[in-house]
Amino acid sequence: MEKKQIESKLVTQSIAESELSIEALKKILVQMDDAEFVEIDISDIRKIHLVYIRTLIDQEKLNESIIKPLTSCSKPSIQDCIVNSSIIPIPTFIEAKKQLFSGSILLFDSSQNLWLAVPLKNPIGRAIESSETETILFGAKDSFSEQVEQNITLIRRRLPIHELKAEKFTVGSLSETSVVLMYIEGLTNPDFVSTVKEKISEINFDLFFDSSQVAAFLEEHQNSIFPQFQQTDRPDVVTYSLELGKITLLVDNTPFALVAPITFFHLFQSPEDYINRWVVASFLRIIRYVSFILSVTLIPFYVALTTHHYQMIPIQTLLVLVDSRSKLPFTPFWEAFIMLIFIEIIKEASLRMPTKTGQTLGVIGGIVIGQAAVEAGFASNVLIVMVGISTIASFLIPNYLMTKANSLIQLMLLIFSSLLGIIGIALGIIAILAHLNSLSSIKQPYFSPVSPFFRKDWIDLFIRGPLVKMMERPEHLKPLKLKRYKTRR
Amino acid sequence: METHQLFKKNETYNGLYAMLLVNRLQMLYFFLIMPSILINPYMIWVLIAVGILSQLNLLLLSKWLLTRLSSNGYNGFVQLFGEKLVRFLSFIGLFFILLKLSVITLGFSEIIQTFMFPSTDTNFLVFFIFLFCCYVASKGVEHTIRFVLISFFCTFWMITFFVFFFFPPIAQLSDLYPLIPMDWKVENWKAFFLILSSYSGPEFLVFLGPWLKTNNKTFRYLSYGNALTVVEYVFLFIASLLYFGSNYLSKSKYPIINMARYFQNPVFERIDMVMLSFELFNLVFAVSLFLLLFYGASKIAFGKMSKPSSGKGLLFSVFLIFIGMVLVNELFWKSWEKQNFLLNLQIIAGSISYFLVPLIIVLVMKKKGVKKHAST
Amino acid sequence: MRLHKKIFKRLILLFMTFWLSGCAHFTKNNLIEEISPITFLSISKGDKGKLKISTILPPLSKEKKIVMSQEVSLLKEGVQKYNLNFYQEIKSGQMRMLVISEELGKDGIMSIINVLLTDPDISLRIYLVIVKGNFEEYLESQLDKDENFDYSFYRMLKHYEEKNQGELTVVNLHEFKNLLYTPYSDPFLPVFKIQEDGVSYEGTALFQDDKLVETISSLDDRIFQLINNDHYLEVLPIPKFEVVLGHVRSKIIVDIDSSYSTMTYTVNIDTRIEEYRGEKQLFDPKELENMKKNIETHLEKQTHELVKKMQELKVDPLQLGVQTKRPFSKPMEEKKWIEMFEKMDIKIKYIINIDSLTDANSKRQNL
Repeated sequence: MEKKQIESKLVTQSIAESELSIEALKKILVQMDDAEFVEIDISDIRKIHLVYIRTLIDQEKLNESIIKPLTSCSKPSIQDCIVNSSIIPIPTFIEAKKQLFSGSILLFDSSQNLWLAVPLKNPIGRAIESSETETILFGAKDSFSEQVEQNITLIRRRLPIHELKAEKFTVGSLSETSVVLMYIEGLTNPDFVSTVKEKISEINFDLFFDSSQVAAFLEEHQNSIFPQFQQTDRPDVVTYSLELGKITLLVDNTPFALVAPITFFHLFQSPEDYINRWVVASFLRIIRYVSFILSVTLIPFYVALTTHHYQMIPIQTLLVLVDSRSKLPFTPFWEAFIMLIFIEIIKEASLRMPTKTGQTLGVIGGIVIGQAAVEAGFASNVLIVMVGISTIASFLIPNYLMTKANSLIQLMLLIFSSLLGIIGIALGIIAILAHLNSLSSIKQPYFSPVSPFFRKDWIDLFIRGPLVKMMERPEHLKPLKLKRYKTRR
Repeated sequence: METHQLFKKNETYNGLYAMLLVNRLQMLYFFLIMPSILINPYMIWVLIAVGILSQLNLLLLSKWLLTRLSSNGYNGFVQLFGEKLVRFLSFIGLFFILLKLSVITLGFSEIIQTFMFPSTDTNFLVFFIFLFCCYVASKGVEHTIRFVLISFFCTFWMITFFVFFFFPPIAQLSDLYPLIPMDWKVENWKAFFLILSSYSGPEFLVFLGPWLKTNNKTFRYLSYGNALTVVEYVFLFIASLLYFGSNYLSKSKYPIINMARYFQNPVFERIDMVMLSFELFNLVFAVSLFLLLFYGASKIAFGKMSKPSSGKGLLFSVFLIFIGMVLVNELFWKSWEKQNFLLNLQIIAGSISYFLVPLIIVLVMKKKGVKKHAST
Repeated sequence: MRLHKKIFKRLILLFMTFWLSGCAHFTKNNLIEEISPITFLSISKGDKGKLKISTILPPLSKEKKIVMSQEVSLLKEGVQKYNLNFYQEIKSGQMRMLVISEELGKDGIMSIINVLLTDPDISLRIYLVIVKGNFEEYLESQLDKDENFDYSFYRMLKHYEEKNQGELTVVNLHEFKNLLYTPYSDPFLPVFKIQEDGVSYEGTALFQDDKLVETISSLDDRIFQLINNDHYLEVLPIPKFEVVLGHVRSKIIVDIDSSYSTMTYTVNIDTRIEEYRGEKQLFDPKELENMKKNIETHLEKQTHELVKKMQELKVDPLQLGVQTKRPFSKPMEEKKWIEMFEKMDIKIKYIINIDSLTDANSKRQNL
């Protein structure tokens, strides 16, 4: 915190030295339409100055809880008059400024030469709605909103224990965004907490409008395509992660919380896994892994087989392939490459469009252009089918950031496969695995519990074991309390 | 960019890693050609016997790993042998590593060339394999050791396919007869040394001491790894006997891959190509580990220990090895007789290194009176 | 500046990969639309000791097809000559069948088998087939009628191989090679006969080493299927007794005495009567027993003749010699075995177990 103050001092050096006075405030608030200076006469000798920024405060409440009590109050001290709001005395100019811009009203009692701040934040914001990015059929429907306080409430309701700590930091020299670090004391490994704290203190940037930007400063591997922080707007996911021994960062003005440390395999876990029956959940999880592998390798395999290894194609399939490929102008690589880029364009376009137009676009892009491409002889219908399958398969990954990374991996493997066939694909996969193997998320290995190996954690890895069997927290998260149950005496 | 510390040590790895390292380093290249040299069914017993011999070697190895010296790495060796001798030995070691690297990489590239890309120059394949090995190795020793798990999970399952050969109509018990040797030919000695050499590989664990967490269970884990290899060797050898019969076995150059070619799968007609590609995981892992060892050894040999390890240095040594390997490929590997010479050389070198390295270290330890210490 | 350099380097790398993938000259061009993966080759005797090789081109596509024939002295030379005469490159990686003419088979096919074995492109699962008659002419005549004659033929062989359907002999390259190269055994192949209206299964060709010496057909072939190849027959008609046995399963027990002079070959059969047009009351257990005895002696006689024929020809497709192998003794020489085999007294014994016709029926007889 000290460091922060020093920084802000450096920025506003000239003003910092000035003393706290109405004049000084007027000086810095010049040309600000929404800055208000109000004088209230309580008695002849007593005047109280109110300084506030209109857009940041709750104006109705201003009347209710400050002006009315002050005018009708006869007591000498302001603190005694205003009873239903907290009152903070301000010693310095910097503190005054900070309070002013965080939505407080500054009160100056000229008679006592006393500066006070009353927080009266404007409550404008979204109500709690259901999550749109991580939708589930069953389970809790609430999701985070842009206000960090509200988000903390949602978590606290689920974890009503005093061990749940919430430490607040401020990042961004311009945005002054508050970041709340949450963890369960005595459970979460203190190394995680200290690592994150250290990294947050090192952040030196002006503006943060999303948690992913905060994540970018906390990550150890900037050039990786794999996210090292999980982003979620579901309080239940956050709560579950906290319970496992992870830390959570809530960033103000964004509904997405950051969860760390995560592993590659966390990207494939959906909150619904813990709601479904374990056999079904396991099956679905395996399907997700399979579809990830499929979405990444299907088209490279097509290219490898059609350009290098015709021996591997079953004769029945070969009949179809030869027929559909015989009149195409492009080699399989360029055919696949063009189609994949095209699919990415459609995907991106349908995201940017309003919902209703997006659907139309999907229909036009997917069916009309796809079919037309085949009929015009730009792509083989086998490839169209495969592009369709792999695109749909890529949507099965619950983590959205991973879905994006998917296409890049696919393109990379595509290039390798056209170079060296299956050997190229294998080498590409080796490179990806070696990369994953060397990644870390807040200094924890990204590919655990496979590498490094934690046998016990495999119960919740490729399958989701029955909850009654998962009596211990995952070892790879190194929690201080491994057991989930209370030991009976 | 963060500075690369190739030989940094943050974590130590427990017995499981030692086990997998032993196993995967033994399953490199020779097992692919082994059945065509073993030929006779009674070689099963030799396989098992040499496996037990290798166990003894591992016992010596674990003794060294248990000392405090081993976890000190280079300094430990200096304490044991003295700096000059260490430099000399590591200089010799360079050739052993180079030979092993050449045999496994060139052998495997040739297999790929034979079965997948008949018109491709093996030098290209070596280049590509090295490119990726370089990437894996550039992540440092720690991550490379950890990569053994991935390599194990990606390759081990393949052996289960060979169960197919243990069922009729292919399996006939009479293919395994006679079970005892009736006469002992000279070729059998070659087979014996081949087996010994294919069990070699774990001696390189000597140099990985700093990264291995050792305790009194270490030997047990090493033995598990070795036992797994024995099982795999015997399993594959019996499968190849059942499939080819011992008469045809000697005529097939790559028996294991030819067997894999017989598998049928409704999705891929030739599953052997997929299996070969997956086998690359193991190769890349081993080659990257050897590359790092080579780089480390060359640093010791040329007295550059004080300099920090760098990616550039690694790249340079990889480049040197690549040049060396292209030369070996052109001069030896491409002509059959010379390739045989190289194989025999590796068979002998592998046997010698596997036998002597742990033995000498333990003998010197005894002489200097290094006490065991059991770290927890 | 350093960052710019790095990005620049990466861009060059990216560009290079793209360029390489566009025209990677170090791998063979196997683009499926530019090659002709032939599905079968038919080999017969040509003039002056040459081989006549023919196949249908282009394979696997719906274009107009032609039969291509070349007379060459070497098999691979033929493939090369095809390339000169056809717009697509011929590839052998999808070859599924090798059709060998009977005359060629009689001369020996070792060299052809070795060609197939040394080519790593060719699967070990390709089927070997002996054909009686002129296959090329037949192909010509089929071109207009049947679009994918080769494919349907392949499917048929595959069907009978896969689930032990017990109708035809189906032998793939690996099985043939193993029988050829292991001592005490001789290979065999299916024989198909060209007729005006189609190809029909004739029987099994027995080989002595790599030379075709005898073709067994009809009942002999059925017995051969039963005792060696499939150990299962869908139906076994025995016209002599006006009976058809169905779902015949066999188990073989071979006993050889220590001096290797006599061999008892016991065939246990489980079956049921599928059809009967004779006079006997088979519901009566006694009659059924009689029937069983009759069939047993009949089969014994037939099998004995078959084995006798094999002994005379010195061929051993039943791999009887393998029985002499012992775990703790040196295997005997192959020549010695063949001498022994010629003289060996082989006793055939059938034990047939016919499922009695249902209880209900037998009871009705008693009433």
